[in-house]
Amino acid sequence: MASIMRPGLLRQACTKPAASPRMLSTITTTSTINRPLAQQLRPAFQRSVMPKSTRIAAFHATQRNQLLPPLPQKILGTVNDPAPVPNPDYAHGSYHWSFERIVSAGLIPLTIAPFAAGSLNPLTDSILCALLVVHSHIGFESCIIDYFPKARVPLVRTISMWALRIGTLTLGVALYSFETNDVGITEAVARLWHA
Amino acid sequence: MACTRAFTRLTMKRIAVRPAVFTRGLASVNDTHARDPISKVAEKIVPDAARAPIPESKTSTIKEPEPTKDAKTKTFHIYRWNPDEPSSKPKMQSYTLDMNKTGPMMLDALIRIKNEVDPTLTFRRSCREGICGSCAMNIDGVNTLACLCRIPTDTTKESRIYPLPHMYVVKDLVPDMTLFYKQYRSVKPYLQRTTAAPDGREYRQSKEDRKKLDGLYECILCACCSTSCPSYWWNQEEYLGPAVLLQSYRWIADSRDERKAERQDALNNSMSLYRCHTILNCSRTCPKGLNPALAIAEIKKSMAFT
Amino acid sequence: MASQRIFQLGLRRAAAPGLRVQPAGRMVQRRLAATEHASQNQAAEILAKQRIARPVSPHLSIYKPQITSVASSLNRITGITLSGALYIFGIAYLAAPYTGWHLETQSMVAAVAAWPMAVKMGVKAFFAFPFFFHSLNGVRHLAWDVGVGFKNQQVIRSGWAVVALTAVGSIYYTFIG
Repeated sequence: MASIMRPGLLRQACTKPAASPRMLSTITTTSTINRPLAQQLRPAFQRSVMPKSTRIAAFHATQRNQLLPPLPQKILGTVNDPAPVPNPDYAHGSYHWSFERIVSAGLIPLTIAPFAAGSLNPLTDSILCALLVVHSHIGFESCIIDYFPKARVPLVRTISMWALRIGTLTLGVALYSFETNDVGITEAVARLWHA
Repeated sequence: MACTRAFTRLTMKRIAVRPAVFTRGLASVNDTHARDPISKVAEKIVPDAARAPIPESKTSTIKEPEPTKDAKTKTFHIYRWNPDEPSSKPKMQSYTLDMNKTGPMMLDALIRIKNEVDPTLTFRRSCREGICGSCAMNIDGVNTLACLCRIPTDTTKESRIYPLPHMYVVKDLVPDMTLFYKQYRSVKPYLQRTTAAPDGREYRQSKEDRKKLDGLYECILCACCSTSCPSYWWNQEEYLGPAVLLQSYRWIADSRDERKAERQDALNNSMSLYRCHTILNCSRTCPKGLNPALAIAEIKKSMAFT
Repeated sequence: MASQRIFQLGLRRAAAPGLRVQPAGRMVQRRLAATEHASQNQAAEILAKQRIARPVSPHLSIYKPQITSVASSLNRITGITLSGALYIFGIAYLAAPYTGWHLETQSMVAAVAAWPMAVKMGVKAFFAFPFFFHSLNGVRHLAWDVGVGFKNQQVIRSGWAVVALTAVGSIYYTFIG
């Protein structure tokens, strides 16, 4: 039947001398066993045409050992249900975003100043330290949210979040002690740089 | 169909023919006739001198094009996966086409492969002019519509075609867009209004207000931008993605809509909107030249400090 | 199949050499593939089963590296490098009194001064490149947050400008400053 639908293909098969005996026989050669099933299932005359223009290669682009490979697909509800909309959470939404931008913007003058003035006075230096701690915490937090989805790895997510909180607290204490007992972070970096 | 019709004609002519071919169902390997060219077998069926077989070169109305000396062959590597063999891994299949006989766009090449080389190749296509968004796929590493993507004329470079990145594959180049459409539904993409227009006619809009919708209403939801976004790759379940956020902004920015606050509240959590880290792959890849990143930035701005 | 085809082709030739288009509808059609009806629930079950087997299309490994995504991922990596170093230093500083390390500025400066020149340069470069990149790209991000510079060309140009300025700044501070 396919010959009616595709006279072009049939003609191609006929003009090729190698193809025509193939077309009329049902011999299963050993080479067909090695071919993929999709190729074997097509009519014989197409099969004989195919290998000349196509090659099949194993797919190499995906890594074999993926980090956190996605789970099998699961769709909740029917196609006509909307995806669930979470409740508004300003503290983790718009407030968080605005706060993050203020901190980042505040870091700009405090980063430029030491380059102009050599180092900072203790007050601005401690403000810089505080902003750095907050900025780092927010940065790490967004990494954890991005790469450890709550639904996928709840335990890792919780552990890493608490580890981050403890780490940030430790850093805060350490920088406080450094600021009070030592020369201050900008001065220390400047001295180390020129050492 | 053809055989029955031809057979009836034949019997009307009262030509009694009963060659060996009729007696069996299938050609066997032992049958030497089965290995003959078709014209030869047909000649045996109808041994009529007047109907001596005419060589195919004379009967065929469509001539096979001469194999040109300067044939521009180009290789296409295409992602294949067949759901009928669920345990098999996705693989890349290569096809070579002569560019002199192929249309200028990637979709032309795909259609030609499907028509002439491999009918099992599966992909979505409809309008072939970039307005339906069906043929969105990853071509040479960038998401785009196959119908709007020219085949690079450099034939030494091989083209690689994948389905949209990080989507569940239905077959070959067809991804499952169910979640994407469900997310689109969740932003309520329709006018929400309770008060009637003051004059009882249509809801009017100033020219300036209408202008705000330019660059938003043109979106065809092809999902090229969403599937180019690494944030959407990692958090597809919760993050809405550029395309849906652009659509959300299209209704937030609409002066006729009265549910702006509710629409913003629906996005105001850590995942739905704020997983956007302004990576800007979305604007870079949009085949319609829109700017989803700008739309998202406008949403963020409108929600900031409130 | 093959014999059927020969048969029909021969007959076509015999009966009408010019016969090409077959009128549809009159003849009995034989379907080789059978379909069976499934209820909506059954169909949903079949679909759910198919979904489980579906692979995820390749993403990071095949997407073209562009200045947009590369700059963004570098922004994160450099941030982690700098903040990570700060966290490690902070924790080490608190632990120093108990472990006997000397992490006061004076002793650290003395230790660093004793390092060979190449090591000093290497460490400086290790911190200078991330610092300049993250700072300059941060400015770029803040510009986007107020809605400036979103056109594709502006994004590409500002991205490469950040790369160039990073190279200049960090090379200067590694080798001269």
